[in-house]
Amino acid sequence: MKRNDGFGPEIQRYLDGDGAAEVPADARVRADRLAEAARAYGESLPPLGARLDDAVMAAVRARTPVVAPTGWRWFVAPQSVRVRPVLVPLMAAAALALWFLPRGVVQDAAPASEVVAAMAPAPHDTVFVRFDLSAPDAREVAVAGSFNGWRPESMQMARSAGGVWSVTVPLAIGEHRYQFVVDGQRWVPDPTARALVDDGFGGRNSVIVVGPKGVVRS
Amino acid sequence: MSGSRIRRLVALLLVCPAALAAQGPDVQARLAERGLPPELVRQVRDVAQSAAARGLPENAVADRAIEGWAKRIPPARIIAAVEQYAVRLGDARDAVGQAGIAVPPPEMIVAAAEALGRGLGPAQVGAVVHAARAPGAVAPGLSVVTALTAEGLAPDAAVGVVVAAMRDGRSVEQLLDMPSNARAMRAGGMEPGEVGRRMMRGGGPGGERPGGVGPRPQGMPPGMPRGMPRQGQPPSPGGHRPPGGG
Repeated sequence: MKRNDGFGPEIQRYLDGDGAAEVPADARVRADRLAEAARAYGESLPPLGARLDDAVMAAVRARTPVVAPTGWRWFVAPQSVRVRPVLVPLMAAAALALWFLPRGVVQDAAPASEVVAAMAPAPHDTVFVRFDLSAPDAREVAVAGSFNGWRPESMQMARSAGGVWSVTVPLAIGEHRYQFVVDGQRWVPDPTARALVDDGFGGRNSVIVVGPKGVVRS
Repeated sequence: MSGSRIRRLVALLLVCPAALAAQGPDVQARLAERGLPPELVRQVRDVAQSAAARGLPENAVADRAIEGWAKRIPPARIIAAVEQYAVRLGDARDAVGQAGIAVPPPEMIVAAAEALGRGLGPAQVGAVVHAARAPGAVAPGLSVVTALTAEGLAPDAAVGVVVAAMRDGRSVEQLLDMPSNARAMRAGGMEPGEVGRRMMRGGGPGGERPGGVGPRPQGMPPGMPRGMPRQGQPPSPGGHRPPGGG
């Protein structure tokens, strides 16, 4: 395809008024003729004037304004979402992290070799509480209650001199019910508790009220 | 799309998984995870669903079944206890409702049920609910009432102490320190009636007011009685066996 329908760069420069353009004589005649025709066509057109501006603005005002959908319509209407691609994996990672957040399930702890149970770090609204039970003949003792989903295996107690079994665990402030589990079978209430509550199964639960600066078993 | 809408969309994407996670596993999954037999799971689930349909906390029902199964209670007794507990939850919801809480949160219903199970009457539960300045204070308040009764205070006196503390603007933490204050006073030889009167007047175990219901002395954190273990030290419940003493 020829560029500019046969106009070469020299003729284009000539039509643009470049006096230095070197154009053959016959081409110059043809270009002058075309330029004259273009001028005559331009003069034949009616003047645009201010009426065009008024007509355009009237047409614009007549158009119904596009109102952005709100509420539920925004969710169901097609939308263009502009997101930096680098943010997509970050958002996905954040969503997965939230999904897999710990939900307060107490993990099975290894047998306690020390008095502090192996648990997650205690938040500041917990108090470390020590449980003791004198059971010289027991082979193993654990504590189970509403604070560990009644899982004795998660809070094994350690034996010390004199047959006293102990464990120190972080408990959230508030009220908790519990019992000791001796040798994995025998559920016994805390003998130091002043009052016991019916557990609904024919047994008696001990109750501990944990305050920020002290605990009371009842 | 405007920047605010993008932020809203991102927040929605982030909040949805969190909200789903906060719901936790359903009752059936929890029971199965703890090893309850399928038939028992089905029966407990039915009780829990019936409770939920009445606006009662179904997970509290499941908790009671899990407790029974952990204690190796026969399934028939577990079901009987769970059904009885669901009835008590309904009574608790009614007691709370009569105190002006039309739709009580689950923890409030559970706390009220525990209080009813420990001998408090609906009117006494309602008095604590009515005095609480925030829903989150009801459960600790009821716990403190029952703990004070275990220290020998009459139920009405214990309710009066807690209600007065709530109206005095005491925080939940301060409420929860009241039983240990009462125990310290009892350990000092004070009679339960005097403990109640002193706590109502604002007196503490050392003659001061911590844990009580009056003006707070200078230089002492609220709820800190003399001679009680401070934070960082594992408290020894009952005071008869000091930490590390074995």
